[in-house]
Amino acid sequence: MGVTRRNFVKFAIGGVAGLHLTPLPYKLMDDIAIWTQNWPWVPVPPEGEFLSVKSVCGLCPGGCGIQVRKVDERAVKIEGRTDYPVNPGGICPSGMGGLQLLYDRDLRHTGPMKRVGPRGSGDFMEITWDEAIKTVAERIASLRKNAKTEALVSVDGNSKGSTLSLMIERLTKAAGSPNYVRMPSLEDTYEMGNLLMMGNNGPMAYDLENSDYVLSFGSGLLEGWGGPGRIMNAWAVLREKASKGGATVVQIESRASNTASKSDKWIAARPGTDAALALGIAHVIIRDNLYDQQFVSNYTSGFEKFKTMVLGQYSPEKIVDITGVGKEAIKAMADGFARAKAPVAIYGKGKGTLNGSLFEFMSVQALNALKGNINKPGGIIISDPLPLATLPAISPDGVAERGILTPRFDQAGTNKYPFAVSLINNLIDVINHSDKSPVDTLLVFSANPAFTLPDSGEVNRALKKIPFIVSFSPFRDETSFMADLVLPDHSYLEKTDDIVRPNGLQYQLYGLTRPVVKPVYNTRSAGDTIINIAKAVDTKTASSFPWKDYESVLKIRAKGLFDSGGGLVRYKGAEPAWKWKTASDGPDYKSFGDMWKKIKTDGLWYRKLMPSAIDSGIFKTASNRFEFFISQLELAVKDYPTAAPGGNRLKELGITVEGDAAFMPHYEGNHHHDEQLPLTMAPYEMVNLASGWAPSPPFAYKTIFDDQLLGSDSFAIINPGTASEFRIKQGDYIIIQSKACAVKARASLSHGAMPGVVYMPLGFGHTAYDEFIREKGVNPNLLIPPGKDPLSGHPVWWTTPVKIMKG
Amino acid sequence: MKNSAEKPSSIVVAAFPALGRYVSKGGWLCFLAGFVGALFLGWYVFPKLLYSSQPQPFNFSHKVHLEEADDPEDVESCLNCHAFRDDGTFVGIPRLDKCKECHEDPESPLGDSDDEATFLTNYMAEKKEVPWLSYSRQPDCVYFSHAAHVKMGEIECKTCHGPHGGSEVLPLYRENRISGYPIGIWGERISGLKTNTWDRMKMDDCAECHTEKGHEENNACFVCHK
Repeated sequence: MGVTRRNFVKFAIGGVAGLHLTPLPYKLMDDIAIWTQNWPWVPVPPEGEFLSVKSVCGLCPGGCGIQVRKVDERAVKIEGRTDYPVNPGGICPSGMGGLQLLYDRDLRHTGPMKRVGPRGSGDFMEITWDEAIKTVAERIASLRKNAKTEALVSVDGNSKGSTLSLMIERLTKAAGSPNYVRMPSLEDTYEMGNLLMMGNNGPMAYDLENSDYVLSFGSGLLEGWGGPGRIMNAWAVLREKASKGGATVVQIESRASNTASKSDKWIAARPGTDAALALGIAHVIIRDNLYDQQFVSNYTSGFEKFKTMVLGQYSPEKIVDITGVGKEAIKAMADGFARAKAPVAIYGKGKGTLNGSLFEFMSVQALNALKGNINKPGGIIISDPLPLATLPAISPDGVAERGILTPRFDQAGTNKYPFAVSLINNLIDVINHSDKSPVDTLLVFSANPAFTLPDSGEVNRALKKIPFIVSFSPFRDETSFMADLVLPDHSYLEKTDDIVRPNGLQYQLYGLTRPVVKPVYNTRSAGDTIINIAKAVDTKTASSFPWKDYESVLKIRAKGLFDSGGGLVRYKGAEPAWKWKTASDGPDYKSFGDMWKKIKTDGLWYRKLMPSAIDSGIFKTASNRFEFFISQLELAVKDYPTAAPGGNRLKELGITVEGDAAFMPHYEGNHHHDEQLPLTMAPYEMVNLASGWAPSPPFAYKTIFDDQLLGSDSFAIINPGTASEFRIKQGDYIIIQSKACAVKARASLSHGAMPGVVYMPLGFGHTAYDEFIREKGVNPNLLIPPGKDPLSGHPVWWTTPVKIMKG
Repeated sequence: MKNSAEKPSSIVVAAFPALGRYVSKGGWLCFLAGFVGALFLGWYVFPKLLYSSQPQPFNFSHKVHLEEADDPEDVESCLNCHAFRDDGTFVGIPRLDKCKECHEDPESPLGDSDDEATFLTNYMAEKKEVPWLSYSRQPDCVYFSHAAHVKMGEIECKTCHGPHGGSEVLPLYRENRISGYPIGIWGERISGLKTNTWDRMKMDDCAECHTEKGHEENNACFVCHK
């Protein structure tokens, strides 16, 4: 017998036959199948105890309640809370992807850093917190020693009235600088407009849920306007009413946006002509006597002048030429608006975060006044700020007192810009027009001016000139890449912070975020860092910050809510919070201790709306009425000297019309006409792409269509007719050129675009962050040249003259 | 030739003449050697190679912990430690917090075994979770709710996990080297055959029970593979 080839084959055959009678092949097959499910790169949730933590989203000022699912200490999912009044169960795409902004180390600064590479490179070296705080404190101390404290400038992107904002302003002032500069926002437009027309700069909101006719001047209700969680819910309420014939939504917007396509009526007015359209509608309402005569005669002033102007200058025939909207459509809107029980005209384009034109807003506000729907269900709501306790006044020393009295670099509040509070665009101009930057040390909080401001190129030029920049951003954003020192804040999921009155919410609400997870990286809450810096500067500065930590400041302020009485800290959901009450609610807490404990776990204090008489003094103008003819503006023009003798004061304020119209809401006309730049670039916003300070979670980029972003190219939407004039086909590369810059994008042809307009999405074109966000598309802010909105002095975002050519 | 008639090969040739050319001297023995060798490999060597063994961090006696229970296999006895949370999710292997309820003070240990000393000094005092190895861990693609089975279905713990309320020693933990799952899923027997309901935890076993209990609708894919 011997080992022959034949015997070996027999052995093998025997082996194979035998193996099939064992479990080996079947078991192996099963195991290999399971093995393929467990490759290390297949994402699986960690193992451990499932927990659910309630908090409030801090990505935007929308103030949605969130519930974070955790497995042990690892957060694995963010969902909308059904027990929170703002967003019953809903949440926006950015909010859902918030965990990437918590964990992704390519998006976050992982500890205090000092810059080692050139500005903009993002090369940093980790340092200790002690060293970081000492460096900033020494810098401020040296400015104080040399009595140059005004050279300390803070830029703040936090919501107005938030405790963090107060702390930033406090640090700036206590150190001795008047230059606390806020990022421009729609709130500024609302505030200035309401201050001028009603003498009231309290928070303003639209009671959409209770309205039966929403006339939206470009507000992207479905594009993330206001608090997306709330608005999506309000939209559902409106749609349900509409299905029974009880509500109408009219969207005035030149592009077929999601909101436009889902509204009852889409009116495509030319970009930049909304003021004319609003006044055209006002013309029909006044002409046909459809306005609320009782309200107008009892509570307004200057109506006769307004009537004369509107009837004389804004006839539908004229408006047709300006806006491109037909006469019948204007009449239909006027009828619909004026005959509705609870109509509301809303203002704030796109996501409702960027400021708009002041006169445009006032023109829209005039429509609301004609119907008298102020502080009534379904109308506009002007309310008092949250009754939070005020912090004790700062105690400046001689150095600080001198510094605070120096003029602001941005000239806000001077007779040139009498109504503005902050003008960051002016600050940038001042820096760029000086040989040596007047700003020595810039502190940047929750803002990314290098990306979000118009004319980003100029912003970057200014930042380069500033000797020392400190960023407190948790994110590796463009502005922090310009910084010399980064003292990273926690993410909103790691800290306690307040949300004072979410954007556009009609009832009073105070939200409190809480640490959902332990800090993932070596970061610190910006509020605590401010206290630490102040304490390290010198004893005088420290004396304005007598608190142990930031949370104790939050608690002190929240005491004001308790002292105001009433309010609820638990939301049951059976009765929506937007339903008006007839009797006051609550309180549903026993003591301040009990209230604070409940706020800390549920993140909520709110008070439902109660009807109040109009004459209870909401109009605090000189006439104590709503002013169609703005007396304060007249005063500003009369009382202040012109810059040059004999100059035209109105022109200095940017107002080009003459006569009484200059003091009333009016259409400024189109002054940008330039034959070289025959088209208009209009930026637009999308609900699944963040365009503000916080970045989009990379997940969100997966939801963007191939005709919006393909590879590293973003698309500009153009009407096929306009495209054919330039021989541009779908997908072609084009160059879009404005006065400021030329950029390259690809063309996406759509009949939803108005002829002559190029639409570009805001939020693309980052140069910082990680590979999933960086160099994706182009930032339209690059194209927007420095411009000033008449009267407010704020940047102008929404219409930029451009030309296009094949690229 | 005379002897060859007695050889098995000649019988085969006689019976199946066509196979004659394959039959050669000693051929059957080779085939048999391969055959038996394969059986040995498949039934004995393979399971030994397939599973790795790991000791648990220290021994745990269910018996000691259930001494006061009337019936150590009763669901309620198990639930004392393997509890449901308020939201209905199942704790699984208890965590340190649970142990702490009785073992809180490291100065006054409740017993005196070496295992307990290990527990108190290495874990309790250090506030470190015990890295227990789970005998019943299912793949991540399987959704399983204890509440649905124990509370709604009123199934006893031992139906799936076997009676171990009275055990003094933890069994050796054995893990499949390829799939990474504990041996309890496929079962101790490599054949996959079972005598008790708790011998295996594969999909077919889930389905078998669903069918037996009249819940065939729960055999739909999406019930477990969400």
